[in-house]
Amino acid sequence: MGNFRFPVFCISLARESIAPGELLDQWQDRLGFNLGETPAATSLFIGRVRGTTAAGLALEALELEHYPGMTEGQLEQLAGSCAERHGAQAVLVVHRVGRLHPGEAIVVVAVMADRRGQAQRCCQDLLEALKHEAPFWKREWAGGAGRWVGGNTPLERRPQR
Amino acid sequence: MPQSQLQLDTLSPSTQVIRVRLFASLREAMGWDELLVSPSRAPATPFALWQQLQLARGWRQVQDAMEDEPRMESDGDDLPKGVQVAINQRFASSHTLLRDGDELAFLPPITGG
Repeated sequence: MGNFRFPVFCISLARESIAPGELLDQWQDRLGFNLGETPAATSLFIGRVRGTTAAGLALEALELEHYPGMTEGQLEQLAGSCAERHGAQAVLVVHRVGRLHPGEAIVVVAVMADRRGQAQRCCQDLLEALKHEAPFWKREWAGGAGRWVGGNTPLERRPQR
Repeated sequence: MPQSQLQLDTLSPSTQVIRVRLFASLREAMGWDELLVSPSRAPATPFALWQQLQLARGWRQVQDAMEDEPRMESDGDDLPKGVQVAINQRFASSHTLLRDGDELAFLPPITGG
């Protein structure tokens, strides 16, 4: 394993379409090379663009604006504190910016850890943190008109058993 | 005013210059994305610059365009709930003392992920 330090972060903004499967393969290959042995648990979240707007219209496109410099800095800081809190060994965050179409991946968050709980909790916490603390702004386009989204929806409650 | 045009407010007695940046809905409502501003009164804080630049006007427009969202107004002593401040690309309080050369940004509600 050499003198490679945990955790390992891979954080980027993408201007073009992302293919989550390819992205994960590349990430795992690179980590396997760096870490020697791939950690036992991986948790993954892929967020895609919904086909309807908040008002229920057919969505033509979703535009994502960010604050160059601050957005990357916040993602790194959030990933770092989340990985430390949960004892995660590797974190991948890829977030789209620019213009997206329904069904396209907008965000990929993946976390590797020794145990499933660490990986799953870190992945969920990091996603919630970046939704509220990383400067991104969405504008929905429908019927040729754009409308800034007013706020993120809260995380759904656990279904009653 | 075209976007991206830097303007220096030369009427102000202050020698401090703050680079003020707006994003997304607030930028479009105000019609500018970046201004070099000299604070007109002390103490120079983000909230004082919010008032000096009359950003509440833009924020009202933003709120008008989101008719089905709850309105987030200012209580007079602070920024409206929903608007966050960043100084030199880090989140900060709206009452932080600004220093010459600081980059100040007003951020409408964040909607990433």
